[in-house]
Amino acid sequence: MRQTYGPLLPWLMVFILCMPVFHARADTGISDTEIHIGQWGPQTGPAAAWGTVARATGDYFDWINANGGIHGRRIIYHMFDDGYNPAKTKAGVKELQEGTGIFAWVSGVGTSPGLAVKDYLMERKIPWVGPSAGSLHWVKPPQKYLFGVYPLYYNEAKALVRYAVTTLGLSKVAVAYLNDEYGKNGLRGAQEELAAHGLKAVATVSMEKGDTDLKPHVMKLRRSKADMVLLWTTVSHAVRMVGTAKAMKFTPQFMSTSTCSDFPLMTHISKGLWEGVICATFSELPDSDDPMIQKYKAEVFDAYAAKSERWGIFYLAGIVFAEPLVRAMEAAGPDLTRETLVKQLEAMKAFKGVGPEVNFAPFDPQDIYSRQGTRQTFLIQCLKDGKSKKLTPWMTME
Amino acid sequence: MVDFLQALVSGTAVGSSYALMGMAMVIIYKTSEVPNFAQGEMALVSAFVAMMMLSQFQLPVWAAFAVAFTVAGLLGCFLEFALLRRAKQPNTLGMIVITIGIEMVLLGLVSWKFGAEQKTMPFPIDPYDSIVIGEVFMGKLELLTLATALFFMSALYLFFRFSRLGLAMKAVQQNPEAAKIVGIPPNGILMAAWAISAVVGASAGLMLSPVLMTPFMMWDPMLKGFAAAVMGGMTSLPGAVAAAYLLGIIENLFGTYVSIEFKSVVAFAVIVLVLCIKPSGLFARHHIKKV
Repeated sequence: MRQTYGPLLPWLMVFILCMPVFHARADTGISDTEIHIGQWGPQTGPAAAWGTVARATGDYFDWINANGGIHGRRIIYHMFDDGYNPAKTKAGVKELQEGTGIFAWVSGVGTSPGLAVKDYLMERKIPWVGPSAGSLHWVKPPQKYLFGVYPLYYNEAKALVRYAVTTLGLSKVAVAYLNDEYGKNGLRGAQEELAAHGLKAVATVSMEKGDTDLKPHVMKLRRSKADMVLLWTTVSHAVRMVGTAKAMKFTPQFMSTSTCSDFPLMTHISKGLWEGVICATFSELPDSDDPMIQKYKAEVFDAYAAKSERWGIFYLAGIVFAEPLVRAMEAAGPDLTRETLVKQLEAMKAFKGVGPEVNFAPFDPQDIYSRQGTRQTFLIQCLKDGKSKKLTPWMTME
Repeated sequence: MVDFLQALVSGTAVGSSYALMGMAMVIIYKTSEVPNFAQGEMALVSAFVAMMMLSQFQLPVWAAFAVAFTVAGLLGCFLEFALLRRAKQPNTLGMIVITIGIEMVLLGLVSWKFGAEQKTMPFPIDPYDSIVIGEVFMGKLELLTLATALFFMSALYLFFRFSRLGLAMKAVQQNPEAAKIVGIPPNGILMAAWAISAVVGASAGLMLSPVLMTPFMMWDPMLKGFAAAVMGGMTSLPGAVAAAYLLGIIENLFGTYVSIEFKSVVAFAVIVLVLCIKPSGLFARHHIKKV
């Protein structure tokens, strides 16, 4: 019996006509009405204080959705608690990526959790924008789908040491750092900047995450007669260091990283000892009169944040690291794909949200700044009652 | 010389909180032969209760601490009565798993109720004030912790030596069946042991809280206290205390003269060494059963 294929022809035509559309929607995690964005963040565990970052991103996306979304698409935000445990980060990312399907990842607190999933995301060509840590690992070597927004810890340390040496005239610099990649990034920046001034650190002391008795550390710093101590540690360690130094009558100028720049919190938990400490930071200050800060406070925080949430630098971090992603998705227009997103990020020049100026460039495996969006940071000093004094404008580190 | 003296003083200071946690663990182990891994979180609950009393209810410190110690005692009684006693024919491993479960539940409760952000407890003594003798420093809060540890050491010594309840506890530990025959209720004794242990542990939590409070704040002191208890022989209160101070001093001397990087793990290396040489611990008496 002779078979006829005539009835199938109209369907074949429909299939061929729809092919470009299917092609445009080939990426997982995106449809005509939704874009699925993922993030991990510690809501429990020792780093849970930074859980605010991921929650703030959720509030920011709610605000974007309430204002029409991205070309009519709603952002569906998937956040999970990894407890700052890299094993959980990896399991959670795999589960969401392979189960729900995520278009792109944003932020994500921590160097170690991020390192646990970096290769997984990059091998699958899944964009990841604004890791919430200033590690050199994100961009050394640069990865085509990974875009850093957080100022490198390395650059923050350089900026602080430069300020100490050139502006304050302090030359006996010591570094107390956490014995992990985060701490070592700060140590490296400090040592390189000191070398540029013909100096060496008078002492370096490392500490482990579980250390609570820091007297031997402070004794070593005191013996070195350092006049500036750079703290590249957790918030808890930093407070204990400053407190133990006070108990030992050791009073250098303390400086620290952006992760310890939440001055109201630091002032409270140090019982006022954080006053005078100088920190690098990555965002306009929460109490500044910057119009965008005011807008986010009124339209995002006041409207969407939970009652227990606190308006501070960590909350703003959740917005700062997501702003470039949102801008690039908007710029990509209705035909948003992972490739058009990457193209728009690469085309981003002098983008200014409430964080540092962001510039990317077409992928160049030799140029870390093709994927590290900013070289900027600025320095602030803690005043009485946790208020901030801006010591420098945005500094661009070469 | 100054560094050596400072390391001794610092080691003694930090050893006091290890000693309090070590004593708390030994009290439970002496009566039920269970290492209580919930000890740190039981102290955590009391510390956060005290903080709540001070900051939200504006109670004076003595009243807030009284509430915290009461809560600690009641929590100890409750856990023994509601969870440990309900275990059917438990072996030691089963009991350990139960205490780990309790630890996780209490940790979750504190995180949920008080949040994860770092806090500090208002306290009349500034934790960063110190007294200076020559060039050697000791924090005023550390002095108070030392005094607290000495108080509990003396009180527990007198309690186990002279009080009826203390003697009954020793009897239950040594021979539960014989104790039952002479009219000592083992369940009541166990409950009392949990309550007393919770109160001793709570004192460690309260002494640490004026510095920093997080849901994980008791993890390190609990581990070090447990280490001291093991090193001291698990059933010996003086042993746990001596080992706790020894650990604190070894840590500080090692950090000062050898390596800061390995300071926090040297305690565990010492324990391994001690247990290899004397498996029953430094101060435990061997009980040899004739068969």
